[in-house]
Amino acid sequence: MSLLELDSVHTYYGDSHVLEGVSLTVEEGETVALMGRNGVGKTTTLRSILQLTPPSEGSITYRGEELVGRETHEVAGSGVGWIPEERRVFAQLSVEENVRIAVPEGDDVDAALELAWDAFPDLADIPERNAGALSGGQQQMLAIARGLVGNNDLLLVDEPSEGLAPLIVEEVRDALARAAEDTTILLVEQNLPMALDLADRFYVVDHGSVVDSGDADEVDADSDRLTRYLSA
Amino acid sequence: MILPLLADALGQFFRPDTLVNVFVDGLSKAAIYAMIALGLTLVFGLLGVLNFAHGSLTMIGAYLGGLVMVLVVGSATGDVARLAAFFFALVFVFAALAALGGLMEVGLIRELYDRPPVYQILLTFGLTLILDELTRIAVTFYGLQPVAKWQDALGTKPAFMATSVHVGGVDLSPLSLFEIALGAVVVLGVWLFLTRTRYGLVIRAGSEDDEMTAALGIDVHRVFTVVFALGSGLAGIAGVLLMWDQVWGASLPLAQQTLLPAFVVVIVGGLGTFRGTVVAALLVGMVDATMTWWFQNAVSFAGLPQMMIFLVLVVTLVVRPQGLFGIAEVGDH
Amino acid sequence: MADETGRDWVRQYAREHVVHLVVVALLGLYPFFYDAITHSIVGAEATTVLPQMETMVAVFYFGLFAMSFDFISGYTGYLSFGHAIFYGTGAYFVVLVSNGKIPLLGAGTPFMVSLVLAGLLAVVIALLVGSISFRLSGVYFAMITLGVSQVAYVFIRGWDFVSSNPKDGAAVVGHPTGFNIGVPWIDSLNLAIGPLVGDELSLAWIHLGTTQVSYYLVGLVVLACYLVMQRLIHSPFGKVMVAIRENEERAEAVGYEPYRYKLAAFAVSGFFAAIAGGLFAGFRRSVAPENSMYFLVTGDALLSSIIGGFGTLAGPLYGRLFDETLREFLSKEGAGGGLLPYLQGHVPGGVMDAVIYNGLTVGEAINTFLNGHASLYIGIVFVVFVLYVPGGLLGTIRGRAGGPLAKRVGRLLGGDDE
Repeated sequence: MSLLELDSVHTYYGDSHVLEGVSLTVEEGETVALMGRNGVGKTTTLRSILQLTPPSEGSITYRGEELVGRETHEVAGSGVGWIPEERRVFAQLSVEENVRIAVPEGDDVDAALELAWDAFPDLADIPERNAGALSGGQQQMLAIARGLVGNNDLLLVDEPSEGLAPLIVEEVRDALARAAEDTTILLVEQNLPMALDLADRFYVVDHGSVVDSGDADEVDADSDRLTRYLSA
Repeated sequence: MILPLLADALGQFFRPDTLVNVFVDGLSKAAIYAMIALGLTLVFGLLGVLNFAHGSLTMIGAYLGGLVMVLVVGSATGDVARLAAFFFALVFVFAALAALGGLMEVGLIRELYDRPPVYQILLTFGLTLILDELTRIAVTFYGLQPVAKWQDALGTKPAFMATSVHVGGVDLSPLSLFEIALGAVVVLGVWLFLTRTRYGLVIRAGSEDDEMTAALGIDVHRVFTVVFALGSGLAGIAGVLLMWDQVWGASLPLAQQTLLPAFVVVIVGGLGTFRGTVVAALLVGMVDATMTWWFQNAVSFAGLPQMMIFLVLVVTLVVRPQGLFGIAEVGDH
Repeated sequence: MADETGRDWVRQYAREHVVHLVVVALLGLYPFFYDAITHSIVGAEATTVLPQMETMVAVFYFGLFAMSFDFISGYTGYLSFGHAIFYGTGAYFVVLVSNGKIPLLGAGTPFMVSLVLAGLLAVVIALLVGSISFRLSGVYFAMITLGVSQVAYVFIRGWDFVSSNPKDGAAVVGHPTGFNIGVPWIDSLNLAIGPLVGDELSLAWIHLGTTQVSYYLVGLVVLACYLVMQRLIHSPFGKVMVAIRENEERAEAVGYEPYRYKLAAFAVSGFFAAIAGGLFAGFRRSVAPENSMYFLVTGDALLSSIIGGFGTLAGPLYGRLFDETLREFLSKEGAGGGLLPYLQGHVPGGVMDAVIYNGLTVGEAINTFLNGHASLYIGIVFVVFVLYVPGGLLGTIRGRAGGPLAKRVGRLLGGDDE
């Protein structure tokens, strides 16, 4: 049984029919990249999994359990973490508070903080700083840290390299690679080299459905297979 | 012709004893405004609902508090006992109003989550009509004049609060000092709750981004209910305090008298920000106290303090719509 | 589509306005119907339930106010919580003019002229207020208009220019006859309004009392205003208003300047709100801050709009009809008939004195829980409507019919199939 399975998912965003039958699977332990041009429905796919933008048709199962129709917090609580586009850290909360709130109730908060500080020593230096005052790269690390402490088996990561300088992108890549060691990751990313580097498999999305898939080592960043669907 | 009068008044105003009096008055008014507005801020910050029924809840709190006091306090009751009864009333009213608020949220407001936020505002407007009229029925049934301030409740104050004390040339009213103290305690209590508890953390995060909060596994809807209950409880205890204050008093009109300044404080401070509410309460309190002095001593326009308060709202919205501490949002709220 | 020659246009207009004609006819016949039925066998019951003439006049002028509120709030989506400022302006202006307090306008200024001038004053206020308020949206816009109107309320409450006791408002002084509605300066084409000092009218076998004359005159003015607003709503201007409500960004992207349209719509709504206020003051011959400028006055318009139907224009009038009818029914004094006098007159004393609980008689219970407490039941209806009938009365009917009634019926009559 796959960890995550989407079957013919249709989702509307307002009046717009964004997902027109998306089907994909993610096995436990792997990292899967979801690629495609802007606006094809990659973010909406992640949002549909979390029931933030509930699908109108189709099924999404996690460990065999149907997610469609459930509440977002229930989906998140069963081990699905979200590292959204634009990070969405809580700007008015401190770095430490941002991590704290991601720790599920009942879990050991101190152990979770230790984990976060170990993974991101830069953040460990500034626990009291307001998250809104952090740089883009620091915010991205914080968002990943939230995903790590949340007791998640599946991380939905949306455009982590967006808007970041190349050096920082490297750090983000490293952080995600470390995370991938014990978590399954579904990664939406336009930075092809980084996506293919991290991923085991990939899907290409175009016009709201999956048009191609394969192993990451079959292609590289300038393969025709990819560039025909991804243009500047 | 006006100038010499104006100069005269200014001279009077800038005397030390006047300034101290106005300052203390302003602080006590600020304490009241803070207590009135805090509940509204919490609810608006997290749920995005401008609770029109907030004033009615304060009024109900005033009447309930008055009821407790009138039942418990007799003419022979000592001051200490009266204070004790007052604190009991605070706890009782908080619990009662919180329960009422929670019920309202679960039973009614929750139905409207999927609709545009304007519907929730409309609903609370309807609730205020119902609550006000039910209170009117109850109050007249027991023989009280709904529009007049409840004199018996006012009379349950401890004796030492009924008169002013003269300290170093300045008139200090013990009631004002009590109000300042209580206001400070409530503000501090809410602040501690928001910053030191997990629930407070969740509320602060949810006020900023309730979608992300839900995606972290937190049942935001249940938090909505708790916050609405909390906000209602706070409205109630503000009412209990006002029951003792001659300027306000427990009466039907108290609902509107507190609702409008609460709106001003919440919006001027910056919707849903705790810090903004406290600072705005201080601002509005000082403006109110200053303008009251000017009305009493120089400008014969009875509505001066009120008008100034609304002007503060208008000016703030024109100059800085997100309020003193609000984050500039695009559209949405 | 038929050629728009003169006759065809009239026919088309008539077809599209059949529903309006029916409503106007029903309202036109109402005074005669009321008169007849209240003197019939079921007279007592009828008096209890049906609103009296004086109440209906209030339904008309406040209904106009509520319609003007809907014009801006329902169609553009910008809630004008401070709308009372226009109503109050209209009311106070009319009273002040007739008391000779407005420079350049003598006490003898025709009422119709006062109304229009009051409307224009409101337009100026609307443009001023709108210029600062429309930069914001949603709650902010509502709050800033509320703040401004409360400033006006507090101001008018304390401004002794208005009267010797501004807290109580101002009354018409030294104008012994009623205010004239009709063609200004041509005496024979005017009739005075007012429950006591208005004109009576005798035509053939029909005799209309003062309140009935007022009913028709005020009703006519309100009808005219409604038709103008309705025309605007169904014009390209109105379509832009709705586009702004649905998606302002898209409207802007398509090339419209929302700011201008919002201001214009606000000015129009203010104009008619002031006319409503003027009619109110002209009929009642007095005005107080609480019943004209206070924010609860806007609240009443909001009530009427939700119950009648937001964004329907005519809905608020029906909403107000419901509101006033219920209030008269449950009125403590029983002035227009109502529950209390009916029960007192028709229910045996024994039943009224029967004790239900703890010394509380039936009569007392009715007095405590029903009479004088119409607000409670209106509030309950309002809450129920917000939750379950978001379209209001008219909105729900339109939903069933598939569009504005006038147009739907018009199409049916014209033979087009939908």
